[in-house]
Amino acid sequence: MNIVQLIDRELCFFLHSKTKTEVILELLDQVEKSGNVTDMENLKKEIFYREQIMSTGIGQGIAIPHVRFEGIDSPMVIIGLAPSGISDYDSIDNQIVKIVIMILVGAEQHKEYLRILSIIVGKLKDKAIHKMLLEAKDNGEIEKILKGEYLK
Amino acid sequence: MNLFHIIAEKMDLSNASIILILGVVLFGGTLVGRIFQKWKIPQVVGYIGVGLLLGKTGFNLISSQTLLNLQPFSTFALGLIGFMIGGELKIKTIKKYGKQFITILLMESLSAFVLVFILITSVSMFFFKDIRIALSLGLLLGSISSATAPAATTDVLWENKTRGPLTTMIMGIVAMDDAVSLLLFAIASSVTGIITGQAGGNFLYSMLDLVWEIGISIILGVGIGFILYRIIRNFLDEDKILAFSIGAILLLIGLSQLLGVDVILATMAMGFFLSNFAPRRSTETFHLVEKFTPPVYVLFFVMVGATMNIKGLTLVTVILAGVFLIARLTGKAFGSTMGSMLSKAPKTVRKYLPFCLLSQAGVAIGLSITAGHNFPGIIGETIVLVITATTFVVQILGPAAVKYAVNKSGEAGLNITALDLIKQSKGKDIADTDIPIIRVNESLKNILSIFAEHDNLYYPVADSENKLVGILSIEKLKDTFMASDLSDYLLAHDIMDKIIYTSRLSTEASEIYSIFEKSHVASIPVVDGEGKVKGMIENRRMQQLLASRLSDLKVKAKQMEEV
Repeated sequence: MNIVQLIDRELCFFLHSKTKTEVILELLDQVEKSGNVTDMENLKKEIFYREQIMSTGIGQGIAIPHVRFEGIDSPMVIIGLAPSGISDYDSIDNQIVKIVIMILVGAEQHKEYLRILSIIVGKLKDKAIHKMLLEAKDNGEIEKILKGEYLK
Repeated sequence: MNLFHIIAEKMDLSNASIILILGVVLFGGTLVGRIFQKWKIPQVVGYIGVGLLLGKTGFNLISSQTLLNLQPFSTFALGLIGFMIGGELKIKTIKKYGKQFITILLMESLSAFVLVFILITSVSMFFFKDIRIALSLGLLLGSISSATAPAATTDVLWENKTRGPLTTMIMGIVAMDDAVSLLLFAIASSVTGIITGQAGGNFLYSMLDLVWEIGISIILGVGIGFILYRIIRNFLDEDKILAFSIGAILLLIGLSQLLGVDVILATMAMGFFLSNFAPRRSTETFHLVEKFTPPVYVLFFVMVGATMNIKGLTLVTVILAGVFLIARLTGKAFGSTMGSMLSKAPKTVRKYLPFCLLSQAGVAIGLSITAGHNFPGIIGETIVLVITATTFVVQILGPAAVKYAVNKSGEAGLNITALDLIKQSKGKDIADTDIPIIRVNESLKNILSIFAEHDNLYYPVADSENKLVGILSIEKLKDTFMASDLSDYLLAHDIMDKIIYTSRLSTEASEIYSIFEKSHVASIPVVDGEGKVKGMIENRRMQQLLASRLSDLKVKAKQMEEV
């Protein structure tokens, strides 16, 4: 699993929304635009159902809404930055969420799913990457930071 | 000639080919046996009933010539029965039950002999007014009365899948009291010869003949058994083992007939040798031969029915038959009860063994024919008629009595296989109903501790209303090891599997079993009508459960020995 292949400039952007629900819908809009998913209604339901079971705000200003979904062929990673913060994300450490990374995989891609989750969380918990992301100026920078190109 | 006559002539079974008769006998016999089984009557009674209808007692559709032609099949069946019984006799069991076994065997056969001897002699004296005839009838019928036929009795045992001390005792007794009977008959024959001045008078000669018969049977059986063992121990192919085994049994039967020794005794010796001295390969051999036996047995019992002819009965023979029946029954009951008490046999044996010793067939009929041959005239004729009539009665009553006894004693159904058990079970019998239910929002940490604390490898995942939403498997849990840093954030929902099959508590276990067989799912959750979780059926745990139930049944059978 190469994380570099999963990160697409089109799916790296700054969020306009300020609330959790709006943020997730905004991320899903990008998914819809990518044209990789046809059954958007059910994907939406699944994502919100997962949030309802337990928030994906994993602390340190990071949230990773994720789901395994029938209608997805290959894993997708969508990165949204909200430098001003989303206050109602309901993180486990109650911090304001500034980085939201949505991870979508096919229903049977269990192993890929865990690997991607693990790699992404590992990267975000790296203080240097975390800091760089929050200081990113545009979509291209977000992409490069996550692909690790700035560190070389 | 009109059409009816043409059809009637064409339909005459006495002109039919052996193949057609075999077809009618096997098909009709099995069908009626099955119907009888549904009526809770042992299938053997059905087979014999069909035989009676087809034979001289009934519509006389099978001619004497045909019966004679079919005789080899009956001999073959007796050989197979002997082989199977021999296989059930284990040296270990004989050692364990040795004292009980010999005491009961001697008591039941000798009591029957003594009582039949006294009563038949007295009643015959009244009718024939001749002490020599009376004594001869008493001695000969007395000796014949001690035999118990293994075929019909063991068929009921196998049909009801019995196991326990009573079963073991019945097997041993029906196998061995024929030998006692042969011995008594040899003595009675010589004494009768001396009394009447007719054939078979030389006592020493009779004894030598008996020693020859028993000795050669055993030598032949063990010899062929040894050869068979040497041949099949290198074979893996089941078809070849079956062919060699059946071939060896046929060879043994043929040689026994050629040398004029007892077929059952010989095949019993072979079965005994194989199961005790070559146990590793023999389990498989017995299993294969057992599968081969049903049609031969059906044929055998239908033939037994067809051969019986009770039309020549007179009032005197009917009365003598009645006396013989009552005396034999009482003698066997008294003897087996006393024997059980003296040898401190289990309660079930003491109580129910008398019901299991009614049957008489092959040996009794054979001996009666021998008597008829050796003592032509009134003695011979009376014996043949009395034995035919009583065989008729006990072959109908005997199996039912055995069935009653094994059911009452609790030994029926204790010798069942995993497949039998599955057929009797429902979902609720094989499900883990107290398995912990994993909540959909359970964290990976808690899930790990649930897996650690329980033996199950698959758990139902349910929502807050207890409705089934997925299955959590050990495989998926294993995958999370590569993301152990996520253990705080991953929930059951993230790693559970979709549900493919569900079952109810009322689902037939066989249906569940076949899902496991066909698909590769390792577990099937159990839900109620509203989709709420009721338990989990895990293939691996189901197999364990079945194995432990089977061993429980074995223990139950073992416990009966203590009572």
